[in-house]
Amino acid sequence: MTTAPHIADDPDGFHAEWLAAHQGLSEARSAILDARLVLLLARQCGDPAVLLACIQAARAPWPAYDPTAYQPSPR
Amino acid sequence: MGPRALNAAMESFHFAPEYELPRWPFQPPPELGGRAPVRHPIVIAGAGLAGLTLACDLAQRGVRAVLLDEDDTVGVRGASSRGICYAQKSLEIFERLGIYRRIADKGITWSFGRTFSGEEEVYNFNLKTDSVSVQPPFINLQQFYLEWFLVERILELGLTDLRWKNRVTGIVPGEESVRLEVETPAGRYTIEAGHLIDATGANSAIRTQLGLDTHSSRSTDRWCISDVRFKKPLPTERWTWVDAPFNEGRAVWQHLMADGVWRIDYQMPEDCDPAHVSRPEVAGARLREQLGPGVAFEFVWIGPYGYRDHLLERFRHGRVFFIGDSAHVVSPFGARGGNSGIQDAANLGWKLALVMRGQAGDALLDTYDAERRPAAAQNLQVTSRTARFLAPRSPAEHTLRRAVVALASRHAFARALVNTGRMSVANDYPAAPHLPEGGRSVQNLPLRWSDGRPTTPMQLLADATKCLGLWFAPTRAQAEAAAEVAASLPLQLVAVGGESGLPTLQPDDTLARHLGAESPGSFCLVRPDAYRAARLADPTPAAIAAAVHAALAQGA
Repeated sequence: MTTAPHIADDPDGFHAEWLAAHQGLSEARSAILDARLVLLLARQCGDPAVLLACIQAARAPWPAYDPTAYQPSPR
Repeated sequence: MGPRALNAAMESFHFAPEYELPRWPFQPPPELGGRAPVRHPIVIAGAGLAGLTLACDLAQRGVRAVLLDEDDTVGVRGASSRGICYAQKSLEIFERLGIYRRIADKGITWSFGRTFSGEEEVYNFNLKTDSVSVQPPFINLQQFYLEWFLVERILELGLTDLRWKNRVTGIVPGEESVRLEVETPAGRYTIEAGHLIDATGANSAIRTQLGLDTHSSRSTDRWCISDVRFKKPLPTERWTWVDAPFNEGRAVWQHLMADGVWRIDYQMPEDCDPAHVSRPEVAGARLREQLGPGVAFEFVWIGPYGYRDHLLERFRHGRVFFIGDSAHVVSPFGARGGNSGIQDAANLGWKLALVMRGQAGDALLDTYDAERRPAAAQNLQVTSRTARFLAPRSPAEHTLRRAVVALASRHAFARALVNTGRMSVANDYPAAPHLPEGGRSVQNLPLRWSDGRPTTPMQLLADATKCLGLWFAPTRAQAEAAAEVAASLPLQLVAVGGESGLPTLQPDDTLARHLGAESPGSFCLVRPDAYRAARLADPTPAAIAAAVHAALAQGA
């Protein structure tokens, strides 16, 4: 698995497209969209060892960004 | 009440007359009221698929056994049929045992499967594309027919002491033998077994008595089978739905068995009441929804069930061997239960035969566990993954499955992830001293002798309990040098092409490719259970002898 910066030369553009794809979707539909996206990207990679490393990296706890620990501050 | 429910309420559902299964008489065994317990070299407890296959395999090899069964008929009381799908490797075994023709004539041959989601087909497979065997990938047949054919074949071979209404109530394992307490309608008796094979099934009392942990788990997934006859022309294919519109979005299986009986297996809600979902009017309403109006049908059997699994840590405990469900139970997806019991039996049969004849030592019997235990573990893993796909355990798992199914209908790569069962295969065996490259099943290819007569590997292996040395174009000098070695071992040499003076098959590219023995002069050792044991690039007499000794677990 490589994690060095790689998403061509337009990471902000990718992020914007990703957000746009989720625009207007319910939480459930967003979850399905991301799951489909994972499958399509997994196919692009195709290497079981890399896929397993990615699953483990995504699953690894790192407190500052743990989504279950994150509480938005009241505003 | 909607119109459908109204129809269902107005419709009456009836059952076909029950199957009349054969019964065999209880005959008081000679040990009853007898003197000192008689010792029998091989006693098999349980005349289900695994026990009957083992008794038949041994008898085919000329080996006597006592077979004890608590009942006096075939099948499972109160059930229409447990197993329905018999896989190629099992069919090849039955070809060798002499009952394949009956199975093929009675059963339903199929190789094509389709998987649907909603109204849409998302995936299909043709198992024939990977097959080079005379036997088809699958035949569907009610389990009791298969057991019936096995019993008749065993009686015909005449070497098995088949004792109906004989129930094992307890055992005492010893160094030299196992003592069995047996209960019959005419009283109790005791016998000694040189080797006891427990084929008494999932609830084995022998296993329980020995206190062996099975690591069992029970699924919360619930299903209800309807075995049914109807007049609607449907293709002879395995159809599965991940989420059937006619079953409230739950899974459904559809398979044809003998006598025009369809097995339709419906996934039910986890919290369902089994008594309710199996009521004829409830099951009938489900069927009406599936078949549409105007299709007449009659039930053969309705049965709700949940599945469980277990796996013994060791399949051999001294002189006690566990085969079939007593050793391992998996969920039904992919037909890996009955088929692995049949293949356990075929794995153990030739080993016991050679040990009985003094042609191999006790270590060969250890290889039963070394081969069939990993096979069972693999079957458990494969079936558990299917079960997980079919019964997602959380909203997240549901989401992932929906993503897989949605992509599968459009993109080929995602179809491989749709898992409604991975059909039973002849498991490979791990590499070990007796299997240097691991073991791979040899399919029953159609072959011809050099004079044109047809044969097959199963026919070559049927006559005697010997390894088969398939030798690709040996020279006469090589064959003559190896003749002495072959005569001293359980080994028959057969040439494939060449002018060696050996019994010779016509050259066959498919056979060479299948065995992975493509260079001229190479040698492939096939065990009596049609597993490839070794390949030799330079088959000197010493190398051939060493390969046979290794395959029989006779250490160098």
